[in-house]
Amino acid sequence: MYELLGAGIANVLQWKYLLPLFLGTLAGVFGGALPGVTITMTIIVVLPFTFGLDPLQGLAAMTGVYVGGSAGGLVTAILLGLPGTPSAIATTFDGHPMAKKGEPGRALWLGIWASCFGGLLGGVFLVAATGPLARFALQFGAWEFFSLFILALSMVAGLVESSLLKGLLSGALGLIVTILGADPILGAPRLTLGIDAIEGGIQFLPVLIGVFAFAQIMTELERMGGAAQAGEAVVRAGKLAAAQLKVIWEIVSRPFLLVWASFIGVLIGVLPAIGGSAANIMAYDQAKKFSRHPERFGKGTPEGIIASESANNANVGGSLVTIMAFGIPGDAVTAVMLGALTIHGIQSGPLFISQNAELAYGIFAAYLIAHPLMVIILGVSARWMIRVVTVPKAALFPVVLVLCVVGAYALNNTMANVYVLAAFGLLGYAMVKFGFPLAPFILGVILGDEIERNLIRAIMSDPNPALFFTRPISGALLALSAASIVAALWQHQRQKRRAAAAGEGDADF
Amino acid sequence: MIGRDGWAGLVVLAFCAVLYWLTLGIKGNPLVPIGPEFYPRIVIAVTAAFAALLVGADLLARPRAAAPRPAARPNYALVAATFAIFGIYVAALPYLGFRIATFVYVAATAALLERPRGAAGWAKVLVLALVTAAVTYFVFERYLSVLMPRGRWTGF
Repeated sequence: MYELLGAGIANVLQWKYLLPLFLGTLAGVFGGALPGVTITMTIIVVLPFTFGLDPLQGLAAMTGVYVGGSAGGLVTAILLGLPGTPSAIATTFDGHPMAKKGEPGRALWLGIWASCFGGLLGGVFLVAATGPLARFALQFGAWEFFSLFILALSMVAGLVESSLLKGLLSGALGLIVTILGADPILGAPRLTLGIDAIEGGIQFLPVLIGVFAFAQIMTELERMGGAAQAGEAVVRAGKLAAAQLKVIWEIVSRPFLLVWASFIGVLIGVLPAIGGSAANIMAYDQAKKFSRHPERFGKGTPEGIIASESANNANVGGSLVTIMAFGIPGDAVTAVMLGALTIHGIQSGPLFISQNAELAYGIFAAYLIAHPLMVIILGVSARWMIRVVTVPKAALFPVVLVLCVVGAYALNNTMANVYVLAAFGLLGYAMVKFGFPLAPFILGVILGDEIERNLIRAIMSDPNPALFFTRPISGALLALSAASIVAALWQHQRQKRRAAAAGEGDADF
Repeated sequence: MIGRDGWAGLVVLAFCAVLYWLTLGIKGNPLVPIGPEFYPRIVIAVTAAFAALLVGADLLARPRAAAPRPAARPNYALVAATFAIFGIYVAALPYLGFRIATFVYVAATAALLERPRGAAGWAKVLVLALVTAAVTYFVFERYLSVLMPRGRWTGF
């Protein structure tokens, strides 16, 4: 394993790979820093630029976006009090007050180094756990894969904050998308709705790009023309320098906090679709609970910044484990990476690491190297970033939408994918307006064909449906699915009772 | 009275009914015991069940307190106009070609999102549109080997 990792690092340190990794990290840092532009949107924009590259170059660029984006949000969170991405929300709680107290450099560098250390701890887990988990997954037959995908869908549907029923319906609608077009077993056309463009089925990347890009951009546009939302820059021209060793010591002298927050980040990353936005808030909450001085939280304590930033970057490592070991994207960013793998003809899943060891360890290496690159980029560019993040959305959004069109079109040089992009853009916005979560929908679209393939294979091997429940791993996975639904129901009911008690109206079912 | 969730559930139920009716026309393959209509029917049934539950939950829900009004009214007119321009862009791409359609689209959307002030404002919009169309064309067509759509009407 270590030999392969060493070879992967040596490989990625070549200019051929280092340059896309650097550019991806740079794009991620700036995309993450721009309020209103998420990591998902940044990776969607970067995707078409990777089509002409070899697989490792493309995936290195995407890994860079993911790592850079997870850290980039801290700049605006600390200096403007506006989190660049949802994964930096908790960083504003203490980062901005610390900056306002006249220590913007300390706050910024605490965030940067905590992101780096947290991310590297996540990397240790990524390298150590992916192989064993993939080997475990090799024992799976069609029954187990079917049950695993059902577990992933039910967890995602159950973990959405708004409504369990809407989460489940959203996942089911995602599955509906995969039954349109062609049967994945024999390729027989079915349910084409008279549209020639979908006779071969609907590719998931235009769906994903359309749903996420439009849902986000249109939601931002709703707010345009209203009150200005710019935060107050506490250090437009102020000094962002800090004593590096002192800042690093502030972090490493709190090993429990760093490791625990990173562990929370990794754990949440492994679970599909929860993401860095939950990881940073949960880690912040835990740090406050374990602190000897919880009263200092929210007033500029370093613990708050360390917990939030180490968790959101460790989260990236966890998400990569899920996609590389099981082929299940943990979030929208890894879903795009999964799409990139497919474009290059690489099948993700348990066989990925054994059949593409060089590529897999190249991704690990890119992930690890992206962290020092992120530190350098943030350290050098933070002072200019404040100017860049004020780029008008009137200029940014049309360019992003053009790149979305290029990304969809370039998948196989056909306008059909652009029409799919536009149609699902409209659907994505409608879903957001009706309160339907997008994550289960996308996971349904991604897993639908695999669910069908494994269900049919299992039934063709043995028509006894009881096998889904009596085979130990499959049965355990289905039991976990049921448990996740029951737990989600219980949690939603508890929230409902609390809301009712607080007189705040109803929580959704 | 039926609410927003109820209407959403009804729309999904209607869509499921249409899809189920369409599955009746799917031809099975005599070589395999399970036809291509087997899985779609399961998915449609599950979706319809969730949609029906959503309608039921909406009908049984207690009347809710009015949600607090957002500080600023959502600018739906801008959203609708942006969608419309994007729709026209997508429809025009095969006829005008990538370069012309993208130039017009970016200029129109940028001007819509922030009304240009004076000649300088319009110049900025036109430069943005020109740079976007030119850079994307050169990067993708020349360096990444992605053949962008040519216009049937313009040949450009």
